[in-house]
Amino acid sequence: MRQFARRWRLALGALGVAVAFVMSGREIHADETCQSPYLPKITGQEDYLYVWTLGAEGVGDGSDKLATIGANPAKQDQYGKVLSSVSVGGRHEAHHGGFNDDRRYLWLGGLDDSKIFIFDVASNPAKPTLTKTIDTFVKDSGGVVGPHTFYPLPGRMLITGLSNDKDHGGKTGMVEYSNEGKYIQTLWMPDNAPYGYDVRVQPHLNRMLTSSFTGWNNYMMDFGQMVADKEAMKRFGQTMVLWDFHARKPIQTFEVPGAPLEVRWALQPRHDYAFTATALTSKLWLIAQKADGTFEAKDVGNIGDPTKIPLPVDMSLSADDQTLFVNTFMDGMCRVYNVGDPTKPKVIHEQKIGAQVNMVSQTWDGKRVYFTSSLLANWDKKGDANEQFLKVYTWDGKALKPTFTVDFTKENLGRPHIMHFGQEQFYKNQIYTEQKADSAKVASR
Amino acid sequence: MAFLLRHLFVGVLLLLACSSASLAADSASPATLPLGLPPLPSPPADNPPTREKIALGRRLFFDRRLSPNDTMSCAMCHLPTQGFTVNETRLAVGINGQTTRRNSPTLYNVAYQRLLFHDGREFTLEDQVISPLTNPVEMGNPSIGYVVNKIRGLPGYREQFQQAFGEDPNVATLGKALASYERTLLSGNSPFDRWYFGGEKDAVSAQVKAGFKIFRGKGQCFTCHTIDKTGTLFGGQSFRNTGVAQLALIPEKEVAVDLGGGLVIQMPRAQVDEILTPLGKDLGRYEVTHDPTDLWRYKTPSLRNVALTAPYMHNGVLLTLEDVIDYYDRGGTSADGQDPRVSPLHLTPEEKQALLALLRSFTGDNVTVLAKEGDVAKDR
Repeated sequence: MRQFARRWRLALGALGVAVAFVMSGREIHADETCQSPYLPKITGQEDYLYVWTLGAEGVGDGSDKLATIGANPAKQDQYGKVLSSVSVGGRHEAHHGGFNDDRRYLWLGGLDDSKIFIFDVASNPAKPTLTKTIDTFVKDSGGVVGPHTFYPLPGRMLITGLSNDKDHGGKTGMVEYSNEGKYIQTLWMPDNAPYGYDVRVQPHLNRMLTSSFTGWNNYMMDFGQMVADKEAMKRFGQTMVLWDFHARKPIQTFEVPGAPLEVRWALQPRHDYAFTATALTSKLWLIAQKADGTFEAKDVGNIGDPTKIPLPVDMSLSADDQTLFVNTFMDGMCRVYNVGDPTKPKVIHEQKIGAQVNMVSQTWDGKRVYFTSSLLANWDKKGDANEQFLKVYTWDGKALKPTFTVDFTKENLGRPHIMHFGQEQFYKNQIYTEQKADSAKVASR
Repeated sequence: MAFLLRHLFVGVLLLLACSSASLAADSASPATLPLGLPPLPSPPADNPPTREKIALGRRLFFDRRLSPNDTMSCAMCHLPTQGFTVNETRLAVGINGQTTRRNSPTLYNVAYQRLLFHDGREFTLEDQVISPLTNPVEMGNPSIGYVVNKIRGLPGYREQFQQAFGEDPNVATLGKALASYERTLLSGNSPFDRWYFGGEKDAVSAQVKAGFKIFRGKGQCFTCHTIDKTGTLFGGQSFRNTGVAQLALIPEKEVAVDLGGGLVIQMPRAQVDEILTPLGKDLGRYEVTHDPTDLWRYKTPSLRNVALTAPYMHNGVLLTLEDVIDYYDRGGTSADGQDPRVSPLHLTPEEKQALLALLRSFTGDNVTVLAKEGDVAKDR
């Protein structure tokens, strides 16, 4: 009887939230696009933005940290403000991260020393806490260095590497851990495509797609020194690999010259294709299924003027597969493409975000777009161009309109990198939260 | 007596090294140096080699935990698979991705080096190891005591140091262990050695023999890369200003950047400067002696295994052996202070090819065995 009543309370609560949105005429769909399909989405307005931030020498405590920023305009006391900041001690080349499959924990990686920091974001979404550190990634994996993409799978976390501990070059692999942080297995990249970077899965096709960047020597070294070093410039990934997801076996290798980075599978049911952008050669590529079931990779256009090395970095595909936001680091631009015809992307808008820009995350409804500035500690621009910011915009289909900015240098935080969304209501909707509370009550009697 | 002692040391060293798989086995005469190498200098009297020291030194050499954040080992800048240097970058990349000023010198036959580093600032391998461990842009430890203390706390090391030295890890035993291992990295018995020192007429091609004539004649290479009848390193002990320090690592106006896929662009220097941390000045041997005549002088490297140790010169500015031959053929940069022996050679294309063939014949017969040295590393 008590359980029945609790379900009714939850249902009524959820209905109330939905009615409130409809009544206000502002139906909002939150969460970032192109996350793992095994990750539960938050619905409604996001409350928080979790920003994994590289420590910068002379800025605050200089340590890498997880910063939590208020992102809900309905909570004016929090909106655009730094709500919490948790230093992990030291600089580890904070870079990417991802929630686990129940979204209660956020795994964050350091590309330098390969440490993984796991934060509890469920107990108090406004103030995540560091609950576990995995400092055995290299040993566990048999030599993979540089945990990059954290991609939740049921019960486990799939992590791509960028390098190895034998020579700090680009040969690398992917590593799987259980949700509890126990090592499961290492998948070394194939010999004909040894570099790694991103991974994304398309479950209904049983296909997994990986891209390729460069090894520790390059991603850690000074960017200016590297571009002038012809030997170093030879050591970038030129390939993508299509895998049988369930078997974890490579099926096809594609030649995609110039470091293909982010992988974005289309989201609509019959759109069996993915996009990537090559960082060095500044091109947009389409990896699409053919009639015979195999895939092919096609260069579908330039991003800016490749001869000026705009350096495409992060990109974000809209939930309807119509709009693709592509950031280019060197010119600080965001280019928005109409990709309704994925073979013929058309630029529909260009806007300068800052002196440099790296990550871009858009909400599921395509109305809010978040940008951060930092690429890598030793690749970021020097001097006055080293702007470090989070900038938030609204997107109306034509232009990006600024809403708020957080200056990460003035806030003594560092170099902001990947962003993930958080929300109070998401955890309150979950039955086990109430069960836990009930259990606590029982225990206290 | 000294000769006997030295010969005994060679025998002990090679037997120990062979038994621990760090040197190509010459099972017929393990107590003989690889053909072509000169008599080996004796190690310091207080550090004769033992199997335990060499094994411990190897373990330390490949252990990335010898840096504060467990990312840098000695091997990361002296990779066995890359000629005990780094082929993939011009300048070594140190802790936190910092760029060092110089290309990693190879460790092949380092046992012969009387002065260490490109500028010769150290005198023994035992002392030398302290410098990269504590250099803030190399392995970045705050002090040598910090390293020793850390090693003491790592599983298995105390026992291994006790076995090797009868002492816990300390600065002296750390240096001795690493030095003992590094002295085993001998390499000779190259095709050139088998021809020149071994008398095998067919060990090298006619082109190599023609190249050697140029090496000793028109090319004047031997004036710095000397050859003794008893064996040779082809250099390694003198300091010269070849003019190469005047070659700009980063061109002043624009930088040719190969982006892959056939796309090579000219990046304006102003754009490079936006993302560049300039390196400190490098004055060469002068930084040690403060003698103005030593400005931009660097140690003449040994040419043994030179085909495996690209890129070349103290700063890796020349990427290939062809680039090096071209550089000397045009007489260097003609900069002030350039050694007069570096002057235009007027080599023909055939002569350049012959020199190239000669340099490639300097590759020892055990390099594939030595390249597997890192495979034994188990610590992570």
